[in-house]
Formats: sequence, C-alpha cells, structure tokens
Amino acid sequence: MLFTSITYFLFLIPSLVLYYLIPQKIRNYFLILISALFYIYVKVDYIFIILFIIICNYFLGIGIEKAKNETKQLLYFYLSLIINLGILIFFKYWNFLIINIFELAGYVNNAPVKQMPLLDLILPLGLSYYIFQTIGYITDVHRGSIKAERSIFRFALFTLFFPKLLVGPIERANHFLPQLKRMVVFRMENIIEGGKRIAWGLFKKLVVADRIAIYHTAVITSADHQSGATLFFASILYTFQIYADFSGYTDIALGTAKLFGYDLLENFRRPLFSKNISDFWRRWHISLSSWVNDYIFNPITLKHRNWGKWSLFYGLMISFIVIGIWHGAAWNYVLFGIIQALALMYEGLTKKIRKKFSKKINLRIYNPISILITFLFITFSLIIFQSNTLNDAINIITRIFTHHGDFFYDKPSTLLFMLIGCSFMMLYEFQEEWKIFPFSLFSNKSWVVQQLSYSLLLIYILIAGVFDGGQFIYFAF
Amino acid sequence: MQENENQMKKIYRNKHFKIVLKFGLFIFFLWMFDFSVGLFLSHCYQKQKSGLLYRATYSMDSTNADMLIFGASRANHHYVPSIFKKKLNLTCYNTGRDGETIFYNYAVLKSVLKRYSPKIVILDFSIKDFSNNEESYDRLAALLPYYESHPGIRPIVKLKSPFQKIKLISKIYPYNSLCFTMLIGSTNYNVTRDYINDDNGYIPLTDSFNQALYIDTTNINYQLDMNKINAYISFLKDCATSGVKIYVIVSPVCVKYLYQDKSIILAKRIAKKYNVVFYDYTNDPFYLNSNFLFADRGHLNENGAKIFTNQVINEISKNEYAIEKSTPSLSVK
Repeated sequence: MLFTSITYFLFLIPSLVLYYLIPQKIRNYFLILISALFYIYVKVDYIFIILFIIICNYFLGIGIEKAKNETKQLLYFYLSLIINLGILIFFKYWNFLIINIFELAGYVNNAPVKQMPLLDLILPLGLSYYIFQTIGYITDVHRGSIKAERSIFRFALFTLFFPKLLVGPIERANHFLPQLKRMVVFRMENIIEGGKRIAWGLFKKLVVADRIAIYHTAVITSADHQSGATLFFASILYTFQIYADFSGYTDIALGTAKLFGYDLLENFRRPLFSKNISDFWRRWHISLSSWVNDYIFNPITLKHRNWGKWSLFYGLMISFIVIGIWHGAAWNYVLFGIIQALALMYEGLTKKIRKKFSKKINLRIYNPISILITFLFITFSLIIFQSNTLNDAINIITRIFTHHGDFFYDKPSTLLFMLIGCSFMMLYEFQEEWKIFPFSLFSNKSWVVQQLSYSLLLIYILIAGVFDGGQFIYFAF
Repeated sequence: MQENENQMKKIYRNKHFKIVLKFGLFIFFLWMFDFSVGLFLSHCYQKQKSGLLYRATYSMDSTNADMLIFGASRANHHYVPSIFKKKLNLTCYNTGRDGETIFYNYAVLKSVLKRYSPKIVILDFSIKDFSNNEESYDRLAALLPYYESHPGIRPIVKLKSPFQKIKLISKIYPYNSLCFTMLIGSTNYNVTRDYINDDNGYIPLTDSFNQALYIDTTNINYQLDMNKINAYISFLKDCATSGVKIYVIVSPVCVKYLYQDKSIILAKRIAKKYNVVFYDYTNDPFYLNSNFLFADRGHLNENGAKIFTNQVINEISKNEYAIEKSTPSLSVK
C-alpha cells in the first residue's frame, strides 16, 4: 500500500476515526491490529517473519535483563543477534554472498562454478528497518540503558507501528516505547500538524520525485546515447529526486504518526544545504546514521582508542561499509560507503587547514562554495549508488566528461514541471534553514494566510503531481 | 470553583469551535480553488486550436470524415488522409495517438458513433496489442477530460482504477500534468512547430532508418488482457451495428518475426468470426527489404507511409469491388 495511493487514504481515514472513537485503553491494541492488516495487505507471508522477530526479541530482551550472570546475558544477546542478522542475511544477502564466494572459489581454482545454490527470495518489505530497530533495542537492554519491555503488546506495537514499518525512520526504544505507555487523547493540533506534514510529503513525492523520475529513467536507461551534459543534468536531478522521494515518504510517515498522537524521529534536516560530508551525514537519513554511530562507530573507536586517529578511520570505514551494504546486496553500495568514509577521513585530516582557510575568505563566499562542492560530491557518489553495476556507473561518469552532443530535455513541459517543483521545494527549505525572508507563507502568524497557502499547495499537487508514479526508492532497501 | 469549571468548559468549547471553523474554511478554500482552477483549465482545454490534445477533442466531437483511422503511433504515422481523399474520394481523419491502446480507440469510436456513422473505419493493430500491462491503464488518463461531457466513455475510464470516481471529485484532476501543454496548445507558437503540423491528424516522420533488419526470435509468453480483447470485440460489433465497414490492419515494421504473435492470431480469429477483413503486413518481404522506408524499427517514414497508404487503398478497392460493385460513394480514381 503506497503512502501516496488513494487506497492508503481510504485505509487511514476510517482507521483514524475509529481510533479516536474507541476507548483509550484499547487504542494500542487497535493500532497493532491495523498495523498487522497494513502489512498483510502488502503480502500475507511477511507477517509471520515479523511476528517471529517480535516474539523472539521480546523474550530474549527479558532474558537478558533477568540473567543472573554475564555469560547468560551474553548468550541471550548473541542469540538475538544471530536470529536478527540471520534473517536479514538470509533474505537480503544470501545470493550476493553465494555468488561472490563461488566466484572467488572458481577464480582460485581456475574453474568457474556453474551451479550455485541461489534462492528465489523476495525481500520482505521493511525488513532492514525493523531488524535494525530490534537490534538497537536488544543492545540497549544489554547495555542497561533501557529496561526490557514487559508488555508483549507494547513491544509488538513498537515493531509493527505501520507509519514507520516499511521505510522507517529506524526508531529508538528510549524514544518510542515511553510514548506507547501514555494515554493518547484527541488533540486537533495533532491532526492539523499531521495533515500539514502529509501535504508536504505528497508534494515532495508526487510533484518533485516522481516528475524527475520520468525524465531520469528515460535518460539513464538510454545512457549510451545521451550527451555528457544530459547525463550530468539527470544526475543532479537524481540528487533532488532521491531526497524528495525519501524525505517525502518520511514526512507522510511522521504526519501519519502525529495524527495518531505519536512523534517519530526526524530523518532529515535539509541535507542539500550541508557544508561538508560530515554535516551531510548529520542531516541525511539521521535515524540510520545515528544508529550506526551508536551501535557500530562508537563501540569500535572505544575498543581501539589506543590506535589514536586510526581508530576513527577504522570505525568510519566499517560504519560506512555497513551503511552502504544496508542499502542493498551489491558492490556499488559497498563502494558508495567506502567513498563516503574516505571523504570523511579527508575532512578529518584537513580540518585545521580548512578552518584556517575559511577565516581568510568572506563566509558569504566560503559557505555557498562549500555547499556546492558537497552537493557535487554527493551527486557523483549517487551515480554509483543508482547504477545497477559498477560498469554502468563508470560509463556514466566517463560520458559526462567526454561526450558532447545535444541536450535532451524531453518536452518543454517536463522541464518546466521539474524546475518549478525543485525550486519551490528548495525555496521552502532555504527559508526553513536561514529564515531570510521576512514573510513566510506556511508558518505565517495569520491562519488565513496559512490556510490559503496549504490549499494552494494541494491545488498545485493536483495540477502537477504524477499520480501514476512508481514505488518509493527506499522501499527497495 | 463551579464558576471556574464552567469558564474552562466554555474556553474549551470555543477553542474546538474555532478549530472546526478553521477546518471548514480550509475545505471551502480548497473547494473554491479546485473549482475555479478546474473551470479555467477546462476552458483552456476546449479552446486549443492545435496539438495532440486538440486532435483528441476534434476526433471525438467535431470530425465528420467519411473514413476514420484508429490505432496508436503506427496508425498515426502510417496512414495519409490526403491520399485516401484523392484516391477514394472520401474525406479522412487520422485519430491515431502515440502510445494509446484499444481502450482509447474504442472510447473515440463510441463518441463518434453517437454523432454519425463514418463509411469506413481502419483499425491499426500491432503485435502484443492484447498484452496485459499497467501502462495501458495509465494511458487512460488521456480520456479524463471527456469523462463529464461523454457519459458513454465512463465505463472505459473506470477500467483505470475503481477509485477513479473519487479522484474525479476534483475538477483539476482530469487536467493533471496538462497545464503547460494546454497553454502552449493555445498559442500560435504551437502551430509553427513542425512536428505538430498534421494532415488531418496524420503526422509524417521524416527520419530514415539505416540499421539492418532485426530478426525477432524471442516469442516471449505474455498474459492476455481480457479487457482489451472485449474492447476489441465491442469495437468490431459497434461498427457492424452502425453499418460501418471496418478493416483491421497490422501495418509493416522493420522486424522479421520468426513466430506467430498470439495477439495477432486471436485478433485475426475474432475478425473472422465477425466477418471483418484483416490484413497482416508483418513479415511482408517488400517492407522487410526496404529499411529506407522506415523512420525507426516500428514506424514508416513519410515516403513509406505514402507507399503503404496506396497499398491499403488498393486492397480496400479490391475488396469493395469484390463484395459490391455498386457502392455509390466509393469511386476509385
């Protein structure tokens, strides 16, 4: 069920009305029920996997807390990791691992293997998100930073809550579980705030992301016939597309959660205005990068603190390989992660020089140039990210610099729709970031101006949105 | 104490009243904008004097040509109305539209038959035309601007989604993504653009295809779409009941197929059942050996279209002559 489909809203509105009509005490049970139905609607079989994960981790969490000695505690902890990672590896990485192991074996033995034990598996939607969330919970219980959840229903809702089930944000137990313990009362403010957030999400997804997707797909699928300028333009647009797609989804998820009285973690903080790569990763997919920071980077650097700066580099490399491969079982994702880690190492090594340099230049020049360089770096690394194979990525990058020719922009209307959508989104974010304009439409003090602005936003979605668009890009991860 | 409680209740009630009022106003603003912008877009749509959208409106609402061509891009680029007029002495309009399917063709036919009955109809059929794919249904969006004004096509539009009626509550939705095309369509600039210039709907392709003949051995098994098959049957039946002579033609491509396509087999069988003449030009050796007559693998260029149109005229003439020598309106020059 796509968040932008009419089916979703036909599911959401009656669910919301019923949710506030039933007694407060049973609202969480109702949420579990509709979340399960939401997941079953996607595919019935998936529900058994998630139920298995809920039951195992619920009991193992309590087991860790109740264990009388450290060995037993570790045993439960590792058992949970084996179950969670085992399921993730089996569904997501099995074929990738087998192909690479067999190819390596074939290379060593100088005899390519013809028959590999590959499996025809479909990745359950949202698996990477809820597995990471559960690992975070179990690690927190093991560290003693949170108490194990004693109510299986609350724990089930923590995992199943439908707005974040398919594409995150990857919630933290200490943020979300306490919210599930309090009674939710109907507040009109939540409905208004949630509605506004959903409207923005729809704008980003339907007007910006899906519109660019039409052009971008046309260009990339015929990359061998396109000029360097066209490929460069399409690559720049892809940066806007993936941002609008993922942050649009997150806005709808956060807005939906707000309608039900819950706050989910913010996942984006205007990342396209980042001044460097470390700044970018503090603003982009925050729930994943902070998860990796807390559960991978910090433990590694702490463990190897006697290595000095090499512990940081080592931690960065491992963390970003995990971030890369989390996106998918392919080498281009690994390379994407490695490139990010190398950029961060470079930033770490040149921090002092850059700081000195920045003091010599007017910040009004230095900052926009930094933003532009960061944006171009992200754009080029996303070429690797979006390509099916490494060769495709190399081909596109090579053509950008070597192939001159006609600039393809499809139809004038396509170009106009894309540019207007992007400009509007960036102008809004610009105002949110720097508050330069004295007059704001969407957070104006006058509610009439606000209402008119949101009505016009919805009208523009009807005029320029792509209603037969595709899936969210991050569904694939 | 009691007074305080009453005051609190009053404040609470006032607050909720204000929120409901604001929400009501928001819905009103939304409805007002949707209605007025939708009305404006509808006006712009109807006012167009050139371009793709204008041709669709003209096909449905205005044409009274003796002969109509239906189909997708291959229909649009392969049949030259001026040659039909010259050789058969019949006015002709080409309603073919790039990327469209039998659904669109049937909707246009229904609208035409409500006004008058043309003498001859040619339906251009392509390989895999009965295949089941989502894009065919997405393409039905082209009919949304006519949903209100043409009740006859509503069942076809609803094939797109069961929620189409809900979406059509919005007056803007039928014109979604069309505003710039419509604005350009209302200007003189549009008329001056080469590829928009048409000969009674026909748009010539000027390129020349240089690549070698492609031999297709794939024979991919695909699922047939019952909705498309039913629309095709209805198309043939409606023509028959309105006394329209219909020809189904598979026009040539620069591809040699080493297999029989199941859509074509089925279309041929249905045509036979309803006594409809069916001409299949796939694997016609003349076209297979003349790549210079094509603009790309699937489309004839201007010269190719002229040759092909003449060939079709000959076939029609032969057929008409064989059936009934005394057809008064059909005088072959």
